[in-house]
Amino acid sequence: MKKFIIISLLTAITLPSFACAWGEPENPYLFSMYVQDNFKTRVERICNDNWKAYLGSTEEYFWFNADDVIKAARQKGDALMVSYVQNLKKYLDCVGVEQSKQYEWIYPSKQELANLQRNLQAVRTYAFSKIKTKLRSQHALLYMRCNMMLGRHQENINFWQQTASQFIETVYKDMMKNIYAGALYKTGREAEAGQMFAEMDDYESLMTIYYKKRSYLAISQHYKQNPNSKVLPFLLQDFVNNAQEAIDYNSDGYYGGKLFIRSINQQESWQMQQFCELVIREDKTETPIMWKCAKAWLEYLGGKKQEAIKDIDAAMTLEGTDRMKDNARVLKLYITASTAKPSDKFDNYLAEELTWLKGKNDYFFTEALRRTMNQAIVPHYQNKPEQQLALLNITHNYGYDLRIDTMSVDRLEKFYFYTKTPGTKTFDKFLKSQIQANDSALIELIGTKYMRIAQWDRAIQWLKDIPVSYYNEHRTTEYLYYSRMRSYEVEPWIKRQWLDSSKAWETKLKWYKNIKLDFCKEMLMMESSLNLLRGKALEQRCYNLAVRYAQASIKGDCWWLLHESKSVYDTIRVNEVDFGAKAAELLQKAAATNDTDLKIKALFAMGYQELYTTTSATKLWTANEWDEQTSDYVRKYYRQSPQFRAFQGLFDIVDDAPEEPMFVSKCDEFKQFRKYYRQHKK
Amino acid sequence: MTGCEKQDSQDASLEQCNSVYYWRTDLRLDSTEKAFLGQYNIKKVYCRYFDVVMNNDATEPSPNATLTISDALPGNIEIIPTVYITEDCMHKPYKDLAKKIVDRILQMNETNDIGNVHEIQIDCDYTSKSRQTYYKFLEEVQHQLSSKKYHLSTTIRLHQLSMPAPPADYGVLMVYNTGNPLKWQERNPILDYRDVYPYLSRLDDYPLPLATAYPVYQWIRNIQNVRVEHTVEAEEILKVKHAMEKERPGLSRSIITYHLETDNINRYKPETYEEIYHH
Repeated sequence: MKKFIIISLLTAITLPSFACAWGEPENPYLFSMYVQDNFKTRVERICNDNWKAYLGSTEEYFWFNADDVIKAARQKGDALMVSYVQNLKKYLDCVGVEQSKQYEWIYPSKQELANLQRNLQAVRTYAFSKIKTKLRSQHALLYMRCNMMLGRHQENINFWQQTASQFIETVYKDMMKNIYAGALYKTGREAEAGQMFAEMDDYESLMTIYYKKRSYLAISQHYKQNPNSKVLPFLLQDFVNNAQEAIDYNSDGYYGGKLFIRSINQQESWQMQQFCELVIREDKTETPIMWKCAKAWLEYLGGKKQEAIKDIDAAMTLEGTDRMKDNARVLKLYITASTAKPSDKFDNYLAEELTWLKGKNDYFFTEALRRTMNQAIVPHYQNKPEQQLALLNITHNYGYDLRIDTMSVDRLEKFYFYTKTPGTKTFDKFLKSQIQANDSALIELIGTKYMRIAQWDRAIQWLKDIPVSYYNEHRTTEYLYYSRMRSYEVEPWIKRQWLDSSKAWETKLKWYKNIKLDFCKEMLMMESSLNLLRGKALEQRCYNLAVRYAQASIKGDCWWLLHESKSVYDTIRVNEVDFGAKAAELLQKAAATNDTDLKIKALFAMGYQELYTTTSATKLWTANEWDEQTSDYVRKYYRQSPQFRAFQGLFDIVDDAPEEPMFVSKCDEFKQFRKYYRQHKK
Repeated sequence: MTGCEKQDSQDASLEQCNSVYYWRTDLRLDSTEKAFLGQYNIKKVYCRYFDVVMNNDATEPSPNATLTISDALPGNIEIIPTVYITEDCMHKPYKDLAKKIVDRILQMNETNDIGNVHEIQIDCDYTSKSRQTYYKFLEEVQHQLSSKKYHLSTTIRLHQLSMPAPPADYGVLMVYNTGNPLKWQERNPILDYRDVYPYLSRLDDYPLPLATAYPVYQWIRNIQNVRVEHTVEAEEILKVKHAMEKERPGLSRSIITYHLETDNINRYKPETYEEIYHH
């Protein structure tokens, strides 16, 4: 049965094809004027329930299986059902052959296509002969299906009008009506077909019919023919959503992937706004709220915010379905949140609307809340960071984790204390009553943030009470593996600590001590005694500290000290000290030494690219860059860059030396530099 | 010089010819398109037969958007069935996928009376994540084709030049979709010499014969309520062609345009097409 709709209309009309599968939209539409109760899903559910009842099953029935039904029918002595299902099976096999041309691995042969025609004729003849039996609806449906596949649309029209339309109301009759609507469309009676598909919530067929008729002009003409056409909510919603799509296209987080997008430009959007107003003035529509909401939302999208506020307020007073009224309320929240000035009045209004929205089960409201939060509510609370974060938390917004990870440590501390103290205002009480936050996670993050700005003493204060079990329970297997297998004492410019991450699952390592806390204590000790050291001891200490800063940097092997994960695209984030730069600064001091070995190591370390690649501000010693004048790429050299100077210093020591350390002679980067510098010393 | 000579000889295994991609869902040519085939001496049409995408529950690859064959190509033209496979289909190996694809292509040819087929092409934007699976898959396709004595070609995107070459008789270097669609104000996302430049040095020693495909299509988008049309200037296409052929002269042997459509034919002057197809 599941194949019924797929084969009803869509097979015969070519819609544009898309190579990419479509996934979860990142930009949910806010204009949603009807509950999506898709015809196909609805009839499938009822048919399955009918089969379940016939089989006397207590389990949910998902897939029609002809053989099971034939067996059950035989046991009941129901010969008519046996022959019906046998023929239905034969019909479905024909559908399978037709579908295999599009979606199945087995593409039909010429012979199979000829058999298909023959079998359809046979089933059709059989079905017609049983139309006066007790299974008349089922056989009539089978007869119409065969006609549809054979392209005998006029016969289906006649049959529906003269016979099937008189049948009692059943799901089979609904399906026949759907085929009848398809036949009307195929024979040029598009408006009637569209009306019927809209009444049936058959959105796929509606899109097929109106795919190329979704312009302002087409919609206005449609309205003029019938101001209360059932197709209008579909067309208007499609238009407004496409206008939103045009705005969203270039925004952050847009990934595309939706089907059936049509471009709406400003001129067409403006025409539609005027038309919406005309519709309301004419007073012929039964759902003025829909048109007013469309106007308000198009105005908002076009930047006319004051007009949008006026119109959405007006919309709230107009007639329409409950869904339309709910949608108006969502749009009002979005528009108000993005235009209102901060006030207690708005806070209380928001609390009320959030409570209402969170109580809605429909997926639309969840998505609408996400968009409204990200685009309107979060900016509204820009100057109230604790409330802003609390709102992200209580709406389960993905931005919460991102923000607490990147915000400054003092702000996160304030938020932590905000969650721990009782609220005085109604709005704060509302927020605090709903916040769901793990105390250990917040405390650990605050400690880590102090590590990111190299305030080891403060970091220790926050991290000291975090139990080791917290890391073992809340960090990934890979994190635990990397953190156990890599040492921050290894010089990264001499040895990279490569690991095979697939081993993480074999070893499943755990923490037995708080390695981050140990690191903080060591850094605190090494830095606090820096002032007491002199000469070689001081230079060596600077070098050792540089090793640790380089390892803990985002490009270091021990990235796990400051972050939970690592990406090759990582750059220095806000509210973090550039540990690479800090390492370079310390190496500079170490390189001032008279000890040749240490000097070579420090200069070589300063030539390590990863110290400079966490920001785009620092140039490397050479780069291939675009030249506007020649419209081509040219190789450029930056003699003032720290990397160039370090290599220059290293060159001066090792070039005439009888031998040099292996880490120097094996370094490709330095080899290139050496080749260049020998020719271009000045 | 040695490298250039090597590549000259390697690309010399390709027949010197003009070709075109056909990328619609219904094979039906209008009079302009038919005339184009004759006017530019088109010998081969790389015709998209179907896509392979992960099915709805993402458990295995399935065919999608299969070509409806309503029209026959002129008899002197070789058709090269081309299958586009989405990259996620290559995140792990799927049993018999190569056989399924090859069998489907052969059956489509037989059912629709398509002869004059000697090759198939697989198009996939493979990445370092999917490369190994894709290459093994191509080997399996070659194995399936061996009894038919069909050739196998595959598309190569610029970023794929840095990877080892795939197991195929030759590659088609896709010189389009080179830019970032979100940075359209800075560079043309279809083709910009600056996006091609970093890959020029890879051409000389890329160890696979290469045909070259150039864009002649237009991409229309609506960005923030503004209609944006991306079209590559003829000069830009030719600048890229000349730069690439300087690095690897053999690239001028087999030229393809993407894709056959009346609007694309009318978009450029005949002289431009003649230059693009210049060997």
